[in-house]
Amino acid sequence: MLRRVASHLFWTARNLERAEWRARLADVNYHLLVESPAASSDGWLPLLAITGERAEFSARYPAADEQSVLEFFTIDEKNPSSIRSCIGLARENCRALRNHISSEMWFEVNTLYLDAQRWSAATFHEYGVYEFFFELRERFYRIAGVVRNTMPRELGYDFLTVGRTLEAAENVSRLLDVKYHFLLPRPNDVGSPLDLSQWAAVLRSASALEAYIGTYGNAIRIDKVVEFLLFDETFPRAARFCIDRLEAALERIAAGGGEGESVPGARMLASRLRSGSASAVLGGGLHEYLLGVQEDCARISDEMFARYLRFE
Amino acid sequence: MQLAHCMMLRLSHGERLSGLGSEMPGDALPMSSAVPFSAAYRPLAGLFDEMFLEDGRARPGCEPIAQAIRSSPDLAVLQAMAERMLLRTGVTFNVYGERAGTERIFPFDVIPRIIDAATWQTLEAGLIQRVKALNAFVADVYGEGHILKDCVVPRDLILGSPQYRRGAIGLRPPHGVFITVAGIDLVRGADGRFRVLEDNVRTPSGVSYVIENRLMLTRLMPELLRECRVRSVEHYPADLLESLTELAPEGVERPTIALLTPGPYNSAFFEHVFLSQRMGVELVEGRDLVCIDHKLYMKTVHKLKQVHVLYRRIDDDFLDPVVFRPDSLLGVPGLTAAMHADSVAVANGIGTGIADDKAVFAYTPQMICYYLGEQPILPIVETFLLRDPEVRSKILRDLDRYVVKPTGASGGYGVVIGPRASDRELAEARERIESNPSGFVAQPMVKLSTHPTLITDEKGAPTPVPRHVDLRPFVLTGARPRVLAGGLTRVALREGSLIVNSSQGGGSKDTWVLDGPC
Repeated sequence: MLRRVASHLFWTARNLERAEWRARLADVNYHLLVESPAASSDGWLPLLAITGERAEFSARYPAADEQSVLEFFTIDEKNPSSIRSCIGLARENCRALRNHISSEMWFEVNTLYLDAQRWSAATFHEYGVYEFFFELRERFYRIAGVVRNTMPRELGYDFLTVGRTLEAAENVSRLLDVKYHFLLPRPNDVGSPLDLSQWAAVLRSASALEAYIGTYGNAIRIDKVVEFLLFDETFPRAARFCIDRLEAALERIAAGGGEGESVPGARMLASRLRSGSASAVLGGGLHEYLLGVQEDCARISDEMFARYLRFE
Repeated sequence: MQLAHCMMLRLSHGERLSGLGSEMPGDALPMSSAVPFSAAYRPLAGLFDEMFLEDGRARPGCEPIAQAIRSSPDLAVLQAMAERMLLRTGVTFNVYGERAGTERIFPFDVIPRIIDAATWQTLEAGLIQRVKALNAFVADVYGEGHILKDCVVPRDLILGSPQYRRGAIGLRPPHGVFITVAGIDLVRGADGRFRVLEDNVRTPSGVSYVIENRLMLTRLMPELLRECRVRSVEHYPADLLESLTELAPEGVERPTIALLTPGPYNSAFFEHVFLSQRMGVELVEGRDLVCIDHKLYMKTVHKLKQVHVLYRRIDDDFLDPVVFRPDSLLGVPGLTAAMHADSVAVANGIGTGIADDKAVFAYTPQMICYYLGEQPILPIVETFLLRDPEVRSKILRDLDRYVVKPTGASGGYGVVIGPRASDRELAEARERIESNPSGFVAQPMVKLSTHPTLITDEKGAPTPVPRHVDLRPFVLTGARPRVLAGGLTRVALREGSLIVNSSQGGGSKDTWVLDGPC
């Protein structure tokens, strides 16, 4: 497989994952604000904090009202991380991959791209925010489905997995980082009703609420949320689950080239997550731990690019 | 009639198809009863019609499809289905300079163009003969130069041509093949005789449409295809792969082959994807390749993998920045040197443009005699070199009767059609010729043959009417020649237009070469 092809696959998966993630974040935040109007005056700011876009947003939009944030977050083409931009990038990568992906996958990505071209500021009014994100998420599920059902489990699929899992692990770690910072300003707040709904929303952002309840029951405790989203080995959006898959994919890639060992960063992060626990992490400083996770993710990306993907 | 039956079958199938595709608005099929096809198709007087004689009878071999045109109300339905299928499957060409959704479909006409077995037999022999001579010519020009020494083709015409490439001097590709893929444009004048209008021996495109068009009609009129015993076109990618394999450097048993594309923004990208996919070879861009020690490699995830045959779909100028345009990012530095080291074969070879130069074209009949000792089977459209003062003054006197073409360009660029040009356009053409006489040739205007083509009339009803067509057959050369049965029939969809290029309102048809006598 060409390095360029592998790199297109990586970026396709990464951008699709990012777009889907943002759709879910925006959707959950919208619901949260509908349910707790008290928090809604600057209720859209945390969203921008999670994605690290506050500065860029404020530079171009006067106020962080719902319409502005949704526009910036979703359809603004000047924002390279808006959902529309991510879909566009995924599609550009897919276009060069026509020989390497199923026609079904191309069709789904291309159709989503063509639809996204028609989005405008009025779209949220026309559709309703709820309908808009509901349908958008369905589209991403459809893409995930055709990828799973039509792509052979070969080298190419491994690079798709690497792109997707790396993005997902980074996202969940940023989510926890920011939410913890925002939601625990005062120790007294712990256990209050607002807090609970906020943490339920965190879980919902990762589509994890039902799975969490299945594992820990319906009492939402902050340490259990951290445990679940970081260290659960069965839940697909948990950081550990993602990095386990990432490590396995990178090991297959390395084995395919007769290399003794896969990229070191992946093995390190995987073993770190396997041996981690919420109590240790919360005791030693969650923020520092999550920063470490994000640095490891960046390192994996660098190592992998140098080894397999850089071609120019 | 059998055909009516088959169309009914297809119709119900089509309705099922459209029911599935809820993603496209306006999907409903047109009502077949609304299409009055009983009106007889009338060939235009003084022109050769591909399907009908002047008295209205169908030409031999064309009866079944002619019958279908005269009697069936369902062609319009098939046409609508065809257009929808093209959009869905993404058989598109790119339009330059537009933003989102730049892919367009190449208009397709469902009425196939028929070539009977005997006519094709002659065409095929003529095409093989022609490409053989063109290959010999290119090898000679960059080798010993016999044809120049013997003054059959003027030396200054060759050395002065913008298509002459010094980098090709001394290349000796396997089997002497420089031109692996040739697209020869043929036209049929009022006398019905096929003539060569021009050769395309650099990176001719269009063959993917031939295969896609057939796939379309296989779905839409399978019974008719079988009844007419039409020769298959689907083995073209396999033939191309075989031809490329035969060009591998000596001693390479199982060569690695790659198709070099300028990338997703190129107008023919769809075809590059299509052919590489069908051949099962890697589709590469220049940045995927690297030359080390006069060998060509592609950069794979785990290692460098040597490439032995490169089917390139980018122009000479961009192929190797060391030898050609230094600013090109599309090519591979050092590729020419690797070719000279015989470690890689590049198809088509560099410098082949010297054989489709519009001025050199005038000498192609002589080349056939010179290299093969044979008379040309296919005549060419008479071509006058304007660098000759006597010829020039004669042509300039009657410029409004000729078609003037710049010698270096292709794709219809810069062509002036005398009989259709305004006085001002003629004056400008005259000026350009006077200031650079060797940059132009003139040909008499060929009244292209016509073919029934489904056009929507002012009442919105699709009706078969005569439209001008040409034909681009494809000739492959590896260890031996292989000709694709038929080729791309292009049709000028605008009434009276003689320009078949897709960029200027052209469309295409499936070309049916009949197998055996009719």
